[in-house]
Amino acid sequence: MNRIHGFTLVEALIALVLSSLVLILVSTTFLVQNRYQANQVLRAAAHDNVRSATDLISRELRSSMRGGIVVAGARTLTVRSPVAVGSVCERGSGFLADRDVHFDGGAARMATEEIAGVAAHDPADGAWEYQLWPWFIMDGGSSASAARCATATAADTTDASEDFHTLRLLALALGSDAPDVGELVMLFRETTFTIEPSDLEPPMLALFRQPYLEDPVEFASGIDSTARFGYRLSGESSYRDTIPEGDLDDIDAVQLQLDARRLSESAEEEDVTFGWSTNLLLRNAP
Amino acid sequence: MTPPVGGREREGGFVLALVVLMLFAIAMASGAGYLVVSAESRMARHSGESEEALAIARGGLNRFVSEQLGVVADSARYAMGNGEAAVSARRVAEVDEFTHMYFVRSAATVPDPLAQGSPSRRVVGAYAYHRRRPLPLHGALVLSVADISVENPAEVSGDDAGGAVCPGGAQPSITGAIAREGVAEDGTLEGSPEYELWPGGYAQFMNQVALRWDILTDPSFPVDFEDVRPPFSTLPADSFPVVRLNGSPMLNPSWSGRGVLIVTEEFRAVPSFSWEGIVLAGWVDDRVRGSIDGMLVGGFSGTEPYDEIEVQGTIRYHSCNVDRANASLSYLELVDDAVFEID
Repeated sequence: MNRIHGFTLVEALIALVLSSLVLILVSTTFLVQNRYQANQVLRAAAHDNVRSATDLISRELRSSMRGGIVVAGARTLTVRSPVAVGSVCERGSGFLADRDVHFDGGAARMATEEIAGVAAHDPADGAWEYQLWPWFIMDGGSSASAARCATATAADTTDASEDFHTLRLLALALGSDAPDVGELVMLFRETTFTIEPSDLEPPMLALFRQPYLEDPVEFASGIDSTARFGYRLSGESSYRDTIPEGDLDDIDAVQLQLDARRLSESAEEEDVTFGWSTNLLLRNAP
Repeated sequence: MTPPVGGREREGGFVLALVVLMLFAIAMASGAGYLVVSAESRMARHSGESEEALAIARGGLNRFVSEQLGVVADSARYAMGNGEAAVSARRVAEVDEFTHMYFVRSAATVPDPLAQGSPSRRVVGAYAYHRRRPLPLHGALVLSVADISVENPAEVSGDDAGGAVCPGGAQPSITGAIAREGVAEDGTLEGSPEYELWPGGYAQFMNQVALRWDILTDPSFPVDFEDVRPPFSTLPADSFPVVRLNGSPMLNPSWSGRGVLIVTEEFRAVPSFSWEGIVLAGWVDDRVRGSIDGMLVGGFSGTEPYDEIEVQGTIRYHSCNVDRANASLSYLELVDDAVFEID
């Protein structure tokens, strides 16, 4: 009766061995899958990190105007990019050097807290003259700006009176080169990007973004030691690590080599690395 | 005795549990992998659409600027690639009588088929000069040939023939005739001065005249009328259309009219042909006949079959005809290297 209703010891051992084998097989598969998935997550995180960093830098870099790169080093890049570009439609006189300017959307659409200064466009050679100049001094309001432009230079202000704003440039900003009617002005932000040791993920490097007169902020961690900026001068084919001050206006492309590295969680496993290099052509390069 | 059922049930349950466990593990791994891959794929697609939207915005801006001839349109829409560009223009200043400043804005959208209602959108802006006098007032007759001879009783005059009828009254005289090496007169040659010489040949001619002949004669560049006679009787009296004639047609009185006449090759006319405004030609016949109240400028093609041109008709500078025709030729010109992204 017992042999009929139960298992023999041999049967039980065989079942146990077989079950163990199956379990080992399943668990190994699961662990391999798990490790692979974890690796993929790390790789995706590294990928996302550098790609979002690249997007942010490229927006500022690509829209920069001629002469907008003011520091070009292997691990430091300072760029001036437009917060707004406008056209002068009426000029005042005297020391205040007021200029009524058309900006698309007016001051309401501008991120005025980001403005580091003002630049004037030279229509003869297309160059910009930059001057660091705070917005709170420059801001002349917009109360009568549209009306003045409509009267003086027949600007079409229909349904767009908010698009016109007075800039108080003073004689100190841009001096005698303050722009005339029909010339362009740019309100620019100045941002410095640096590759330095990370505060959040030591001992890795990180990409820091530092707006003008503000503290640097770490916005892309996990950067590998091979990361650097490269620069191409107009007419050349190769990228250099640094560009001397006199040649900055001739930069027509910037290379972002932001290789990423994610440290593995155990000593037996290798770090996850992700090579990332992007060449950004400057839209308004000479 | 019936066989025990419980043992078999336990054995069956054990196998089922294994299968369920394996399926669960595989499903978990597959799900995680799918999430990672789909997220990556979605981000890559959004990034691509955003880049395409930017390219369309820039393309729309450039197309709008290049298509404006005469009065600047308020807005235009262009279907490009997988998206659409909506372009608008606003005059922001009159710099001087012949140069206005416009702001041109191009907003492009590229729809995402998987996320209806949230298309990728990029906006670019730029300022552009509206050149309202593209043809400088150098002379009533400007040719890149070596010699011009004004026959008797022909007339070439740089004095304003429209002084009595133009709203602004008589304008300052311009040069009567301009050639490369010499201008002779048997008939009437007037102006201030009567003639000028541009010894620099074709290069100087193109530099001084400063019109983009390659664009004006490009078949894809839109003009008001091409190879057809404008219905002047039904057009408003103050309209000065741009008419392009391809080749070297012989112009008879039925072609007479007003505006800007572009002859892509040789300008040939019978004596009874007349035109009020500006005539631009690749080159001109060795005998210039007909009557032009405005300006005749020939030699854009760079080929001059004739060394000497005999003027047998009448070419008189007419300030308001020329100004109106010039306004029809006016165009937008982007400020160099100053396109910027908005938002």
